[in-house]
Amino acid sequence: MSECIVITSGKGGVGKTTTAANLGVALALQEKRVAVIDADIGLRNLDVILGLENRIVYDLVHVIEGQCKLKQALIRDKRVEGLYLLPAAQTRDKNAVTPQQMRELINDLKETFDFILVDCPAGIEQGFKNAVAGADRALIVTTPEVSAIRDADRIIGMVEAAELPEPELIINRYRANMVARGDMMNREDILEILAIPLVGVIPDHEDIIISANRGVPVAFDEESRLGEAYRRIGRRVAGELDIPLVGDETDEGFWNTIKRWMGLAPVQEVAS
Amino acid sequence: MKDLINRFFTRNRSKEQAKQRLKFLLIHDQVDLTPAQLNAMKEEIIEVIQKYVEIDINASEIKLERADDTIALVSSVPVQRVVARPALG
Repeated sequence: MSECIVITSGKGGVGKTTTAANLGVALALQEKRVAVIDADIGLRNLDVILGLENRIVYDLVHVIEGQCKLKQALIRDKRVEGLYLLPAAQTRDKNAVTPQQMRELINDLKETFDFILVDCPAGIEQGFKNAVAGADRALIVTTPEVSAIRDADRIIGMVEAAELPEPELIINRYRANMVARGDMMNREDILEILAIPLVGVIPDHEDIIISANRGVPVAFDEESRLGEAYRRIGRRVAGELDIPLVGDETDEGFWNTIKRWMGLAPVQEVAS
Repeated sequence: MKDLINRFFTRNRSKEQAKQRLKFLLIHDQVDLTPAQLNAMKEEIIEVIQKYVEIDINASEIKLERADDTIALVSSVPVQRVVARPALG
């Protein structure tokens, strides 16, 4: 059985593309066959995050317009078995594709792949409609900020209007030290407002910049805590809901232990 | 006691502001009334109430609150004296 998951957010710059790339790697590391699709036509970036930009010959629009076969446009990631990228066109715009064409494309991909991840463009226009068209499920990426959460709320409504099941949440750029001192909303605060299930929390960490510089998604890095966060999200997305989020089992630190013992620390937070 | 100490520690922290602003924003995004329309509605509600009972306007509060998917109009209007009873039936 194969599943198409759209990764969306409403607001730009919260980490959709990075999440799509790393989730793709994480699922492929679990020996799933994964296609990641860049649906951000005209502003492609998933290829760069994955470090596959030099290997693009054909793109999504070529496939849809019948200028090449689907197989010719899929770029195989040589670092892990089973991971493929379908890049977006860079010189076209969102109107080059219709929701119906996306549905057909995804149906074709479902014959070969276990998971199809669609990296949705920011916004609520045509690009969003194309990206959700063939999806069975939606992951919403947000950061712990007022603007990102507001847009996430709007997108949750639009996902439900598109008759997809209740979307699931990934909180990105979580800073445990700021949460601990009350200067960042914690996950309970965010879940109270958005009221959808949580699949992952990703700490804010400089490794993400380094991995983007190199074109090697951090999920490949076995030593990285950030990579571990993505790998766990991968397991949870694939159905292992008992896998704890990163930070759930980490040492909470001396002062928090004392504070909790005294009844002062509210909840244990994700360490960064 | 625990709450009091927690409040002391988290007092004036920016996350509380963020949360309050967000709740307000989301209600207004959903209701799609301008602040002016909302004020007009409150004033009219108060006027209607005043036809029947005398109220403490300064202590009155009418606001929109959100719980999960629903928005509720929550009001707290202290009644000082009944002015006139509406006719039965």
